Amino acid sequence: MIIIVFIVMLEASVNAKYANVFLNATIETIKISIFSIAMGFAIGVVVGLGRISNNFLIKGISTVYVEILRGTPLIIQIFIIYFGTPQFGIQFDAFTAGTLALGLNSGAYQAEIIRGGIQSIPKGQMEAARSSGMSYLQAMRHVILPQGFRLIIPPITNEYVTVIKDSSLAYSIGAFEVTYWSLKIIAYDFQPFTTFLFAALIYFTLTFSTSTIMNMVERKFRIPGYMGAE
Amino acid sequence: MATPVIETRNIQKSFGDNKVLKGISMKVMPKEVIAIIGASGSGKSTFLRCMNRLNEPDGGDILFEGHSIMGKDIDIDLVRSQMTMVFQSFNLFMHLSAKRNISLPLRQVKKLKKEEADRLAMEALDKVGLTDKADAYPGEMSGGQQQRVAIARAFAMHPKVLLFDEPTSALDPQLIGEVLEVMKKLADMGMTMVVVTHEISFARDVADHVIFIDQGLILEEGPPKEMLINPKNERTRQFLKRVLQEENLPPLPQ
Ligand SMILES: Nc1ncnc2c1ncn2[C@@H]1O[C@H](COP(=O)(O)OP(=O)(O)OP(=O)(O)O)[C@@H](O)[C@H]1O
Ligand SMILES: [Mg+2]
Repeated sequence: MIIIVFIVMLEASVNAKYANVFLNATIETIKISIFSIAMGFAIGVVVGLGRISNNFLIKGISTVYVEILRGTPLIIQIFIIYFGTPQFGIQFDAFTAGTLALGLNSGAYQAEIIRGGIQSIPKGQMEAARSSGMSYLQAMRHVILPQGFRLIIPPITNEYVTVIKDSSLAYSIGAFEVTYWSLKIIAYDFQPFTTFLFAALIYFTLTFSTSTIMNMVERKFRIPGYMGAE
Repeated sequence: MATPVIETRNIQKSFGDNKVLKGISMKVMPKEVIAIIGASGSGKSTFLRCMNRLNEPDGGDILFEGHSIMGKDIDIDLVRSQMTMVFQSFNLFMHLSAKRNISLPLRQVKKLKKEEADRLAMEALDKVGLTDKADAYPGEMSGGQQQRVAIARAFAMHPKVLLFDEPTSALDPQLIGEVLEVMKKLADMGMTMVVVTHEISFARDVADHVIFIDQGLILEEGPPKEMLINPKNERTRQFLKRVLQEENLPPLPQ
């Protein structure tokens, strides 16, 4: 802890004149991360449910989505959305393109996490709900998903940390986030070691806060007497 | 004559090549308690689960209060809410307190207001002697208590019939009594019940009619006094002998 504070002070003094730049860059990184995490979650719920659907068309589309987005490099996905879409007359700015690509990509991973969470709920839970007269959707909404979401908190935290780190790839299309500005600052003021270290520190602060908050969420929603809880 | 609450006609069911039910017909009359006994793997659970179409029968018909429920335009959720089920492994909703386990279907299926659902839930908990566990989660209760809550959840819906699938088989021996007691109380209240069970003494004391299923068919049925004490069929006799030995009970008196 003390070491971290020391490094922060050191870095801050070195980079003091760029404080404003880094602040804005950090805000941009946070915005990209939050938007793509939220978008990925919405996609994740829909595609995750689609993956376990009995309808083979829905299941097929969901599976193809997951496999393609998981099986191709994120940087190519970013390039396709930023450089590729203008071919069809659509031009996103760097922020939007980066966020879209990250969100679509994270959606595939979150879908798999959500599918896994749902499928690890014992079959008896769905049967008990259906046998009392609840519809499939009611059972999903009130029995399966609430339990599933508690189970997926650890793996989905991992995914959120990954999204925050991967948002750095948006530098490549010129989104004004932390990595982009670090490179710019180094070009002006040749101090790559301290500048990159400072950038790393910013990312770490964001990821560490995220996992800390998610741990608190997990504790808050822990089910008494269930799944390792006290 | 009254209409049977449930009537099954020639129910058949296979899992792949495994023909589990080979044509079972039976009737459940109002206020009747039916015990279904039989060896492990004989198809008892499958048959019970066919009654509310938790398992989809391949052939035959199921009538609920005189109407087939096999048709496409049947609201199966509505039918299920009137023949609720109690499972071997309790299947309480793990993320909800005892009270909310009971009120959830009341609110979702019967569309009751929260206050009304809570009141009925507490009433049901009172019947199974667990009002003090209203706010406890399933993971904080013993198996016997969980099963009593599950029974409360099932009958709080005011079903026309309760289906039990070996409700005491997952319980430690010292917890079986409290669950059987609750079931006996329900039977005394005039509840219509179909109970798959290995508890021969429960079948003898509480059931009006006992059905012995063997290899997917009803091999023998009748009033418990005849069925359990003087079975006609050799296989029934062997089964009863084995079960009673396993339970360390003396042979039933003549
Ligand atoms: N979902 C399923 N898929 C495939 N086979 C199944 C399924 N459910 C049951 N079976 C098979 O059907 C047969 C009958 O099973 P069932 O559970 O109805 O027996 P049971 O009489 O209830 O036995 P027990 O006393 O052990 O509960 C068994 O051979 C079982 O393996
Ligand atoms: Mg069974």
